[in-house]
Amino acid sequence: MVLRIRLARFGNKHTPFYNIVVAQARSARGAKPLEVIGTYNPIPKKPTNLYDDNAHTRPYKEIALDRARAKYWLGVGAQPSDPVWKLMGMAGLVEPKPTTFHKA
Amino acid sequence: MRNRASTSLSKGKIRQSWSKYNLYNLQRFRTPATANRTFFQQKWSAKAASRAYHGEQVREGQWKRMFSKRIRSVIPMNTTDLAADDGSKESSGRGSGLSSESSSGRSRSRLIPYTQMAFAPLERRLDVAIFRSLFASSTRQARQFVIHGAVTVNGQKMRHPSYLLNPGDLFQVDPDRVMYATGAPKTAFERRETRQLKQKSDEGEAEGEEAEAKAEATEKDEKEDTRDSLRALMSQAKTIMSTDKDVLPAKRKQELRGFQKAVRRVLSRSDTSTVLTDSLEAQFSELTLLLKAKRAEKKPTKESKKEVKEEAAPAATTKSEEATSGALSDAFQAAAEGGDVDTSELTDEEFDILKRALTQMRDNPIDHSKPYATPWRPRDYMSAFAFIPRYLEVNQNICAAVYLRHPVARPGSAEVPTPFGESISTPAYGWYLKRRW
Amino acid sequence: MAPRIQSRRVSNALLPYLTSSQASSTSSISSTCPSSQLFSRQFSATAAPQTKLRRQMFQWLSTEGAALKHHIPGETNYLSGRADRDGDSNEAPRPFPGNRTFISEAVLSEDLRNEVYVRVVEKKKSLRAVSVELGIDMKRIAAVVRLVEMERRQRAQGKPLALPYARAVHEMIPTTPLAQDGERQTFHEPINDLPAHPSTGAQIFYPVPESRSFTRVDAGRVFSGAPALEKAVADKISHPSDLVDDIIQNPNSIEWVGKGENARQVLQPADVRIPHPQLVKLELDRKAFPNERRAVTQRHAERVEKQEAAEQERRERAHARREKSIQHVEPEGSRFDYRIQDAKFTKETTGADGRAPWAPGRRYGVPAEDRKRGMVKIPTRVEA
Repeated sequence: MVLRIRLARFGNKHTPFYNIVVAQARSARGAKPLEVIGTYNPIPKKPTNLYDDNAHTRPYKEIALDRARAKYWLGVGAQPSDPVWKLMGMAGLVEPKPTTFHKA
Repeated sequence: MRNRASTSLSKGKIRQSWSKYNLYNLQRFRTPATANRTFFQQKWSAKAASRAYHGEQVREGQWKRMFSKRIRSVIPMNTTDLAADDGSKESSGRGSGLSSESSSGRSRSRLIPYTQMAFAPLERRLDVAIFRSLFASSTRQARQFVIHGAVTVNGQKMRHPSYLLNPGDLFQVDPDRVMYATGAPKTAFERRETRQLKQKSDEGEAEGEEAEAKAEATEKDEKEDTRDSLRALMSQAKTIMSTDKDVLPAKRKQELRGFQKAVRRVLSRSDTSTVLTDSLEAQFSELTLLLKAKRAEKKPTKESKKEVKEEAAPAATTKSEEATSGALSDAFQAAAEGGDVDTSELTDEEFDILKRALTQMRDNPIDHSKPYATPWRPRDYMSAFAFIPRYLEVNQNICAAVYLRHPVARPGSAEVPTPFGESISTPAYGWYLKRRW
Repeated sequence: MAPRIQSRRVSNALLPYLTSSQASSTSSISSTCPSSQLFSRQFSATAAPQTKLRRQMFQWLSTEGAALKHHIPGETNYLSGRADRDGDSNEAPRPFPGNRTFISEAVLSEDLRNEVYVRVVEKKKSLRAVSVELGIDMKRIAAVVRLVEMERRQRAQGKPLALPYARAVHEMIPTTPLAQDGERQTFHEPINDLPAHPSTGAQIFYPVPESRSFTRVDAGRVFSGAPALEKAVADKISHPSDLVDDIIQNPNSIEWVGKGENARQVLQPADVRIPHPQLVKLELDRKAFPNERRAVTQRHAERVEKQEAAEQERRERAHARREKSIQHVEPEGSRFDYRIQDAKFTKETTGADGRAPWAPGRRYGVPAEDRKRGMVKIPTRVEA
């Protein structure tokens, strides 16, 4: 059985919210995972700069991650799914995948 | 929520509104009689009267969930009193102070009106806070502003009127809406002018340009009397700024209009026509510059004027125009310096008056595109309802306010604005203390 | 900034419709209204209560209420104020005739607001110092700085402002003016407000031997259910304000009592809990050394400086800690930034079964109650 680090969708219609979970690859999305190691909110938030309009204002997305647990699970061979790979790549836990698009 | 809050005269309920009906109801409201009525009946009528004012737009169940029996209060401390003793004086003897003199030194007579704070949780609501900051003429209107997206909280649009403000939240309402809400409404005459303005703009710009050209031509015919026009400008500014109360409003408006025209005329003389089509802001800066220039020496005047003109119309300045404007500026100077009459006319005081009139014209112009009567004036009976409670800090210029803290009671006063005395608020508070749901 | 019209007479004229002319027009309306109603109902025998009330209302509006229609600049114009105005004008303005406990309190005038901004932003004074100088609450000062900052930016950007409205409002409500040179600044509000603590609501019978002095420190301990101080410790405290310095330097030094959910900090005396505790020390110093004025103020300034430094350091530490736990990632090709927050998902944070209500992330095996009746479904806070 393969261990995967993947996203489990929560939240309501049009308001997604994800737990970053470690689970058996064949288990259901909503099933109880082995462990929750983080959360990911894909809805971008606008930084409110009341005082400086010229400031760098790109909307941001929030991630919470337990780095120690993530490293441990990667070490024992858990495989991140593509979206989680992207997030972990940004956190510096894995080597980011090249973003070239090529058909198989 | 019912669709409409009725301010009927027969019911005589007081609402959070600035209407004259409400003012009349407020004036004739009497505390309901308690004789021959059971305690339940007294509480019921007290609750009914106060709920008609406090959060009338909030469902009863919603308000019951918000209600809290805990009431915030503060005691203003006096540092001299605190330094004078460590509290042992008050507890000495049998626990009530050694002698009565020490306790009578402080003012203890004023009680804290706790029950006047019964509806304090409702003051946290965004719509109520907007009404309390004098940004809307009723809570219902404030609510509409929120729903229509004219309100931001901490820089983000907030569309929920029931949002509960947290201490430190900054909310801002669109200034145009505030001016509309608090300003006098348009008269039928002004509404017609607005319609005409709209029609004109719809018909197309070509005609408008023609008309403008015509107007300019007519103005150029009267070119010679620069001195006269300046004098007229001064006199009109004076009449506008005069404190004469007997002048009829219509006449005053006519004068204002005349003044505006005169300003335009002077501007058209002194400079290129681009300023005329520009905003009032440009006109204003132009005129103040002219004034300053006139007051300065001869040579700097010319320079400054030329600079201005170059800024205003960098590309389309023909030689003839330049020549005319130069001549006009000379004429202007002549008007300022030349005849004895003129120099006596343009004292410092008069300059001041003219400047004020210009400021007034810029800040509060006649503009028929606005939804309120222009120049703006407060709506009738606004002053009878105008107060800002201490828990809000309001900046009227930008129509923004900060919710500093929750309202509190202190000895002798309560911060929740309520038209009812303690004979109503106490039974109403008692009603909600007892859980009936 | 645009020049403001200062003189009262002129600013009155700025609002071109004036009382006298308007009042006459209303009276003409009200006189015509009832007569026309009478005309239309002249064969009807039944009374019409609504029309009668309306007639009474317009009657009142044209007589007693006429003065309320327009304001007099610089004066309040309230329903209850009119009766008092003839008598004593010193009484506080009360907008509601039925409520004696609500007072229309003064707001900061435009000049005072700008002065606050200048002192804080340009002269770099601390909020605490400006608060004591001008008699304005510290929260209000922070808010004023925010608002004036915003106003200046909007002016610079050329955004529309509600200037005539602002002028009219400031004419209608009482304002605290900025003192002229040489005058004493009138204080805007009491700055040392002590919030009533919930635990002081109880009435406690607590016998104390008459020989013992029972101070505010002891009273706080009784209210929070803490044991009485030992005599050696109690004797060291000559005045409750001696505790101030330690608590300012280290707020965590306040003692705790109770266990588990009942754990609470010992209620401190008023000398510690007021916003400007140093002012009590200043008073004490003044009393002790009435002839050394300069030295006393010097010591006070030092104490305030020390307090501010401690507070500043605490703020910076908290900020640094927050910043350290967040990693900002700005990918090049992306439209978004990412903020990666460090989190701990251990047994302590998620509970033994992983379902603790305080566990981070969404929970498993627990129904989501977010749509239930009575739950708050709109945002509860907006980040500034």
